[in-house]
Amino acid sequence: MTSTTVQRHRAPVVDAAAHRPGLGAALSWESRKLRSQLRTKALLVGAVLAPLAVVVIVHSQPRPPKDTLFGRFATDNGFAMALLVLGFASQWVLPLLTAVVAGDIFASEDQHGTWKTVLTRSTSRSTLFWAKTAVAVAFALVTLALLAASTIAASWLVVGHQPLTGLSGQVVPAHTALALVAGAWASMALPIIGFTCLALLFSVWSRNAAVGIAAPVVLGLVMQLVGALGGIETLRPFLLSTPFEAWHGLLAAPRFTGPLLDSLVTSAGWSVVCLTAAYLILRRRDITGG
Amino acid sequence: MQTPPHTALAVEAVDVTKRYGDLVAVDHLSLSVAPGEVYGILGPNGAGKTTFLRMLFGLIRPDSGTVRVFGRTWADSGVGVLDGVAGFIESPRFYPYLTGRQNLEGLALLDGGDRGSRSRRIEGVLDVVDLAGREGDKVAGYSYGMRQRLGVAASLLRDPRLLVLDEPANGLDPGGIRDMRALVTRLADSGLTVLLSSHHMDEVEEICDNVTIMARGQVAFHGSIGDLRAMAPDPGHLLSTSDDALAVALAREQHPDIAVETDPEGGLVAIGSRERLSAYVADLVRADLELRQFTPTQTPLEALFFMLTDTRTDTRTGTRSAKGAGR
Repeated sequence: MTSTTVQRHRAPVVDAAAHRPGLGAALSWESRKLRSQLRTKALLVGAVLAPLAVVVIVHSQPRPPKDTLFGRFATDNGFAMALLVLGFASQWVLPLLTAVVAGDIFASEDQHGTWKTVLTRSTSRSTLFWAKTAVAVAFALVTLALLAASTIAASWLVVGHQPLTGLSGQVVPAHTALALVAGAWASMALPIIGFTCLALLFSVWSRNAAVGIAAPVVLGLVMQLVGALGGIETLRPFLLSTPFEAWHGLLAAPRFTGPLLDSLVTSAGWSVVCLTAAYLILRRRDITGG
Repeated sequence: MQTPPHTALAVEAVDVTKRYGDLVAVDHLSLSVAPGEVYGILGPNGAGKTTFLRMLFGLIRPDSGTVRVFGRTWADSGVGVLDGVAGFIESPRFYPYLTGRQNLEGLALLDGGDRGSRSRRIEGVLDVVDLAGREGDKVAGYSYGMRQRLGVAASLLRDPRLLVLDEPANGLDPGGIRDMRALVTRLADSGLTVLLSSHHMDEVEEICDNVTIMARGQVAFHGSIGDLRAMAPDPGHLLSTSDDALAVALAREQHPDIAVETDPEGGLVAIGSRERLSAYVADLVRADLELRQFTPTQTPLEALFFMLTDTRTDTRTGTRSAKGAGR
């Protein structure tokens, strides 16, 4: 080490308190870390390119996938193609995309042993918790937006933008269909936030990125399976997989939006419960690793 | 937040206890570190040193007792306790996918201050720890010693009044240990309060004014290095001659104030003051015995450390194994 003179350090306590950073600094740091990771860039690029590939592949099939919602018209109608991709994505792709970041964002601090590095600065656990949560939710929404925009654009360009045949057999003009398809994709934001919060909880609780990423996806598939069973009508509204179907009412005639309100309540409930549990776990845990 | 009095102790632990199930990691520990002091916490692995430092930094909560830093507690001031405090626990950890500079920039961001001052501070600390020129490399490619130095740099970024270093020389090669000790000495000379945890007696002896020796979570000794030296036992030496039996007999007849015993692994072990051992060796030579080996086993302070921490000590080699459970 150099023989550079070490200055006498005398940081006034009052000044230190006055300059203590807030949530903004933590948000900036978490955002910068996320942007530096190759995985993040790969996911965002994938969210743009993968829909194009899917649309091209499905469109090139000699027979449309008739056994899926809007599959019958997918090879002839761009809006139907966008909704077909939406139905497929909501099964496990969207939970996985958000869990890759949210399920790792707390656990990676355990993996790298860096909790002690950041918690010995002037930032509290609460601040870091909310910064990580906000960044994970923002990433989920950005990914959803890219996926939606790419899917709709690819479907429009590759398949076309003819009037859409709705779920009740009604013909929806192209400009209305575009708005409804965009709205259907936008309705995914609610359950996606719910799954993000679920992944955050697993990330905090397990301290293991693999669990944080895989558990929400598996749980989502289990909920879809349970939701498909008969005789559980009272349970179905509480499942986090149910809001993924809330957009169906937009494509029916007459149009109904009740499921979207139910989706809001269900997703918000899951989000609040998961975030509360994660917050309490992080606040109370002993940082002993690393 | 209360503004602490400037006369407050840098660190004051009162009756602090931390348990993990049946294991008492820290058992009613009390100590105080005055501002400007260079204070050592010494103990074998598992003595509870790191657990105490984790409580100081708020990473874990004590089950009972209070830890005050410049008069503030976590209950009163939250993260404000750490204003003017910096350091690292065990080996410093960083984000491997970021460069050294990016890591420091992020940590400086969490410390507050404007961008310009952060940048200037980073340049300064990189120079102090001799990482200038390597700051653009990803931390994943750093050697252990470079990470230790980056840890010191990250600590200095906070302009601390109290620097807490947990085993700063751990895992370093001899050159790295020398450099790290020189750096800590320079920092201490600059007026910083330094709280240094170590399991190396020589490290603490070289740097610290006062010391607390811990064993199995409890205080085994508390006082100045001078007090510690006064308590130190006579040094032991490995001894080998052309006729060890005669050497033992000579010691018993002419030097009853030193102990010379047969070592089960060969040769002899002689324990006594330096002056008396010198006289004994001179007599061995006069008796025409060929002196084949005469080497110290451990320093007096090391011997005292092992005695205080209640570890089994092999008097021949100085190696030991702790009786306490590892923590």
